[in-house]
Amino acid sequence: MKWARTILPPVIVGVLFIALWQLIVTAGRIAPFILPAPSEIWEELVAQRQNVWEAAVSSGENALIGLFFGALSGVLLAMAASRFKALDDVSLPFAAILNALPIIALAPILNNMFESTSSIPRRLVAGIIAFFPVFINTLRGLREVDPIHRELMHTYAASGWTFATKVRLPSALPYVFTGLRQASSLAVIAAVVAEYFGGLQTGLGSRITSAAAFTAYPRAWAYVVGACLLGLVFYLATLALERLAMPWRKRLI
Amino acid sequence: MSDAVVVDKVTKVFNQGRPDEVVALSDVDLVVPSGSLISLIGPSGCGKSTLLRLIGDLITPTSGTVSVAGKDADTARRQQEYGIAFQQAGLFEWRTVVRNVELPLELRGMSRADRRSRALEMLSLVGLSDFAGHYPAQLSGGMQQRVAIARALAVQPPLLLMDEPFGALDEMTRERLQSELLGICAKTGTSTVFVTHSISEAVFLSNRVVVMSPRPGRIVTAVDVDLPVRDDTVRQSEKYFEYVTAVRRALRGVPQKSPL
Repeated sequence: MKWARTILPPVIVGVLFIALWQLIVTAGRIAPFILPAPSEIWEELVAQRQNVWEAAVSSGENALIGLFFGALSGVLLAMAASRFKALDDVSLPFAAILNALPIIALAPILNNMFESTSSIPRRLVAGIIAFFPVFINTLRGLREVDPIHRELMHTYAASGWTFATKVRLPSALPYVFTGLRQASSLAVIAAVVAEYFGGLQTGLGSRITSAAAFTAYPRAWAYVVGACLLGLVFYLATLALERLAMPWRKRLI
Repeated sequence: MSDAVVVDKVTKVFNQGRPDEVVALSDVDLVVPSGSLISLIGPSGCGKSTLLRLIGDLITPTSGTVSVAGKDADTARRQQEYGIAFQQAGLFEWRTVVRNVELPLELRGMSRADRRSRALEMLSLVGLSDFAGHYPAQLSGGMQQRVAIARALAVQPPLLLMDEPFGALDEMTRERLQSELLGICAKTGTSTVFVTHSISEAVFLSNRVVVMSPRPGRIVTAVDVDLPVRDDTVRQSEKYFEYVTAVRRALRGVPQKSPL
């Protein structure tokens, strides 16, 4: 019952929303190039399911690889920055500049730096975008150690290494996952949008642009739905990982 | 047998030589005989927590010496000669209750099986055997504080340092934990230095109540408490109230930070 109570309301709202959309488009005779009806999008999605799936796997792979390396370097650099004061002073402004860059705008430049068959540019964009939220949140978490924990470890005569592994890292975990959650959605967006700017055309992004270029709007929307689902999968996977990594946390959001 | 703690002419000055210099403790002497429970009481800012931290080597004295179990404070800390508990339980939320109690043992290099059995023994001492597998967030404040006490006792230290450990608890939980603490100390023969704001708590627990005054922090007087038994009936007894009055009188002579 409790399960039904949390699942049902959003499902009902979603169904109502789609029904309303369908009604407005058919009753209002809205041209399909402005907004196709959900039924048309669904038909395209079913007809193109193999292509949508393959494009989603390709984009998903790029996003995953980018996310993995971006998050890994975010965590490692944050650990180094929290350990060495000098690195801390230097790294924060650089990270802020990196974040302020419209990284998507780097995509065409990166595409020219590598061969046209290379997957590296898209993964690089996803990685750079995933890096920042993970780095910033992890650094904050590593800095915020409960003073009582610090004193306790001092009374146990614990070494710096013991303190880092037994206290500093686990207490930073919630922050790491806050960063990861943001990064996982951003990585998918980056992997999809990076394809708008050329490079290897195997993912959802290029399918959306080419369908739109051929005025096949329902098909473009079908790929957008695929991108939504991919983003959702990444987000939910991160949540599941968070729950596995932190069994002591009851509520996640 | 040597005394559990000897504090000899200790002065502590914070921010020495700067405009915000504070003399937290001035020329303090304190002896805690083995097996006894000493309370430090006084208004905020009288340096009672500072004195406790000096004994625990969390800070070092500006002048004077502190010895614990016959060793200097630094050596005593490194050899885990004392356990400590604060007003906040300070449990590690990512560790289960039993693994919280195990931590000091783990850092001592005790084997997995040994530390598990010791931790479970400590948890049964504070009446929390059934909660070994829970996470701290699943426990009430009083239970968390009992876990913190079990953790402080885990290495079976000869000395227990407590900084207002029951300060954040409700009156009923507080009285129950006071009785439990006395039982544990009697059973294990642990000496205790106990910092508190509460006169009744100090009298109920202690062999000796040390009254302190602020600016600069120093010891005004000490009231020796000699109660025949320490159970809930003694809280109603004539003698108990006499001691409470004596401590209150000693505190009255102390300038208060804000008159109530």
